[in-house]
Amino acid sequence: MHSFSAILRDTLLEVRDRKVFYVYWALAGLLVIAILLLPNFKIDGHEMLQGDTIPQEMIVEGTARFMSALFGFFVFLLVFGSAGLIPAFLQKGRIELSLSKPISRYRLILLKFSAVYLLMAIILTGTVTLIWLAASFRLGHVDTGYIGGLLIYLAQFLFIYSLVFCLGVLSNSGAASIMGYFIVRIGTDLLAGRKAIYAFLGDSVWRKILDGLYHILPKYGEVTDNSIPLMTGKEMISSYPIYSTFVISVVLVLVALAVFHRRDY
Amino acid sequence: MAEAAIRADGLSKTFGGGWRGREVRALDNVSLEVHPGEMFGLLGPNGAGKTTFVKILLGALHPSSGGAYIFDVGCNNWASRKKAAFLPENHRFPAYLTGLEMLCYFGGLAGFSRSEVKAKAGQLLQVVDMASWGNTKIRKYSKGMMQRLGLAQALLTDPQVIFLDEPTDGVDPIGRHEIRQILLKLKAEGKTIFLNSHLLSEVESICDRVAILDKGRLIKVGPVVGLIDVRPTFRIETAQSVTMVAEAIISTHPQAVITDRSITLALDDAVQINRVIDLLRQNQIDILAVVPIRASLEDNFMELIKGNRDDA
Repeated sequence: MHSFSAILRDTLLEVRDRKVFYVYWALAGLLVIAILLLPNFKIDGHEMLQGDTIPQEMIVEGTARFMSALFGFFVFLLVFGSAGLIPAFLQKGRIELSLSKPISRYRLILLKFSAVYLLMAIILTGTVTLIWLAASFRLGHVDTGYIGGLLIYLAQFLFIYSLVFCLGVLSNSGAASIMGYFIVRIGTDLLAGRKAIYAFLGDSVWRKILDGLYHILPKYGEVTDNSIPLMTGKEMISSYPIYSTFVISVVLVLVALAVFHRRDY
Repeated sequence: MAEAAIRADGLSKTFGGGWRGREVRALDNVSLEVHPGEMFGLLGPNGAGKTTFVKILLGALHPSSGGAYIFDVGCNNWASRKKAAFLPENHRFPAYLTGLEMLCYFGGLAGFSRSEVKAKAGQLLQVVDMASWGNTKIRKYSKGMMQRLGLAQALLTDPQVIFLDEPTDGVDPIGRHEIRQILLKLKAEGKTIFLNSHLLSEVESICDRVAILDKGRLIKVGPVVGLIDVRPTFRIETAQSVTMVAEAIISTHPQAVITDRSITLALDDAVQINRVIDLLRQNQIDILAVVPIRASLEDNFMELIKGNRDDA
């Protein structure tokens, strides 16, 4: 317990030193001010931002889309905010000192992983909730469906961070982790749309390869396809991307643990 | 048999090889024991394997073969480090932390609560003369201040064995003296101190025993007194040129170094110096001084390394 609180506090101070907090709170503050100062405008003859003059569903759907876009943008920024933390932790001259303490390697790196994720989750939750509260206040409508969206994006960031963490342990480089993530992300987003090119592939082996790759790779984009239905009180589109990406993320974390356990520092 | 504080049994470590490039044998079958309460120095030129040896003992490196133990607990087991502490060379303490926060962080990793660390930190910072710097960020520290903080960090958990890799590196002479005094005090308290240092004079002045490593091989282990126990050497300074007796001296002392007005030679016993003095007097050469030259650990160290490489 003492080791976790020490790592959490150290990570908090490092994140503060890297100005990640300031960027988030500045962005959130600007958006809150913009939402509060937004002038009323009209859609289809209905005056917006007064809640009672337009259909409820339109407000719920609009808020869900706005929050989903916001979550997506903030998660995108979190990748940059968190990628350098593991390589810094593994920096020569620092890791030897940590390893010389009576703590197992597995525990040490797992605590660091947990501390980084926890702090990033707090930043994401805090800033987006603030914006959501401002939007709810302005629209005169508070929809708890937002919590479902928050959980989906927290899960998405957990999955993404598992990859960034694994790449960080393997490469000892924040830049390589970010690049690796974007390569996987673009590749898997393309794979998600593989059916569009099936017509050109016929029953060829390429079709089987694409299908196979789709199933064994994470599905970061598709995980959040469920966010808008959840925020608008509808049923999830599919839970397969969530649990398959969860399994892959567990494997990635286990790979990182095994590499860290065996590596010389 | 008494339990050793530190023990290495046939310890070897190889880096690289195969697709990872050229194979480098950093440690080659090193066996060593350090007794509890001993101040032990590990010497060797750059790349000798000193840091590799310490890093294996502290769990940062895995041995290729052999075993390393702290109080008989294998170093692959993290519990072996319960009684140990380390001040690495070229450490990089998190610059965004203050000295106090850094102590709390590493104390926490060792299983201590923040309040426990804070209770001890004040006194420790005072011991290393950093009491007024505890709340300043490390990025503002000088190299010497970081070494002192590193030493405080190593002492935080009240360890039985302390590994110090170049502890006085970057520290001014006064600071070095203070660190030496702290180490002597720790030794008096019964702590085992394992010192890696390039400063041979430092090792010579405070260590009970010394081991010399070169190219991963243990060349010699023994008390400092034994290591510097070489033939007594004297320099005889004269008023007149000694060239006329040079041939006679070289015939009995082939390794003598003779300049125009001085002779430096190593002797097996004190009687021999009288023979040389008699020879000079017989040739009407006035003696100005007979200066005993004490071979330092550095001289002996150089000689050992050279001898080892010649043998190889």
